Amino acid sequence: MGMDLGKFLNSPEFEIRITTYRDIFQVEALERDRFGEEYKKLSATIMMSRNDLQKMGFKSGDRVRLTSNSGSVVVEAKENKRDEPGGIAFMVNSPWSNAIVSGETGGKGIPEFKNMTAKISLAKEEVTPLEKLMPGMRQA
Amino acid sequence: MVTCTGCALLCDDIEVVVENNRIKETRNACRRGAARMKGCVNRLIPSIYQKPSDIDSSIKKAAEILKNAKSPMLFGWSNSTCEAQVKGIGLARKLNAIIDDTSSFCQGILIEKVLQKKFRTCSLEDVRNRADVLIYWGSDAQDSQPRHLSRFSYFPRGETRQRGYEEDRVAIAIDVRESNTAKICKGHFYRIPLKGDREFILALIDALSGKVPSYDTKKILELAGILKKAEFGAIFAGIGLTYSIKEDLVVLLTLVDLLPNFHIMPMVGHYNMRGFNENLFRETGFVNRVKFDGNVNHEDKYSILEVLKEKRTDALLVIGGDPLSSLPGTVVKHLSAIPVICIDPCATLTSKIAVVTIPCAVSGVESDGTAVRMDGETVKLSKVMENNYLSDEKILTRLMRAI
Ligand code: SF4
Repeated sequence: MGMDLGKFLNSPEFEIRITTYRDIFQVEALERDRFGEEYKKLSATIMMSRNDLQKMGFKSGDRVRLTSNSGSVVVEAKENKRDEPGGIAFMVNSPWSNAIVSGETGGKGIPEFKNMTAKISLAKEEVTPLEKLMPGMRQA
Repeated sequence: MVTCTGCALLCDDIEVVVENNRIKETRNACRRGAARMKGCVNRLIPSIYQKPSDIDSSIKKAAEILKNAKSPMLFGWSNSTCEAQVKGIGLARKLNAIIDDTSSFCQGILIEKVLQKKFRTCSLEDVRNRADVLIYWGSDAQDSQPRHLSRFSYFPRGETRQRGYEEDRVAIAIDVRESNTAKICKGHFYRIPLKGDREFILALIDALSGKVPSYDTKKILELAGILKKAEFGAIFAGIGLTYSIKEDLVVLLTLVDLLPNFHIMPMVGHYNMRGFNENLFRETGFVNRVKFDGNVNHEDKYSILEVLKEKRTDALLVIGGDPLSSLPGTVVKHLSAIPVICIDPCATLTSKIAVVTIPCAVSGVESDGTAVRMDGETVKLSKVMENNYLSDEKILTRLMRAI
């Protein structure tokens, strides 16, 4: 019964490279309501190849924590519908992917939005809510 | 027929059904465009320190903040009409401010090369009428400019391409991911490793110069053969390509030098990003990252990213952009330490931390103007329905007067 906490305590960490992409359904949700559930659902996701999921012992639908030198977020891992060779995972460009992008650009002003490295491990926390990604939100 | 501002294709064949001052239905628009035209659920309201105010007080407060700032910055612009952009550049001059737009961390470096005439480019009509070899490079048009393939590049019949995609056109995708666009380019999808674009280009250059490419020899030679035979080729350069070769854009120019029938077109998302680049270029010779102080200064340190990271501004006006959502989390921290003024039709992450918010009309729906399509063509936007929102241009005019 209940959740097997041991699963998280012993959950190993892997390193993964991540690139971002655009998804028309997520853009549609953004236009309609960037604070809505739909936008969150379509954004806070990392798409992984079947190989990588198996190798790391994750299932499609598991929540995972991504941690880079710049930040950390919890998102849902999903299996790529297309056959991907693996080694790279994909995230739609959003505040969730931006939480782990480095701000270091060598003074050139263009972050590596499409070339990130992060640690990935199973997470028991909920998917990071949008408010947590907004520094210093002013309250009315 | 009205023009859609969902992306920089600015499709001008949209029909709309208006009901109760909202667009209820659209015809011809794609999913992205329909969502844009139907509008958001969270309209922005005027506020000061997150307390509801009225437009006049908000504009007055914004003017006061900008006037008192030592180093104000004006950012956004890629979702504004050309008329508003020109006003904004004037405002930046008057305030001795820094001005930058989203192209700063997007396609700016490539558009700059187009405007400096560093390579051949062409119009979307040229592509429709003449192009026989299309390369979607680091660009998933199907998701970002969803009607690109159907209106202009792959599917339509054109003057010299009466047999359309069935016989007359070859579509090629070069990408790290099998995108929806790559899926359409059956048999011509070249998967490359992350950051592998430069190496791929160098191999192609070898193949085109009669050398044996060291990388994926068979596939590269096959591709070089297709490119050499092209009568009219187009490389649709997406941000996947631009980001990947940003340290060495010149290799792309070297490649097209070997392909005299090819044209490069930067793929633009935001509907009027190219407009801003052209307007600023006309006035200053630069496409973004400018600081006025009587003179024009252009440096990377005036990019929105470096300005926020190095805390170089003490008041930021954001118009038609959402830096809190689109920049790295570590960089946007500075936004909560300075007064931010937000002008937008909709509530955004940035508007939630703004000291002043000023709602504006949705351009192309609630206000008219002009915009520049991704290929440089100027397109008119129409006002589809009466409403009480001020256009972004009018707001800037009033701000200017108040300063
Ligand atoms: S392709 Fe772009 S401009 Fe055309 S309808 Fe879709 S979003 Fe609008």
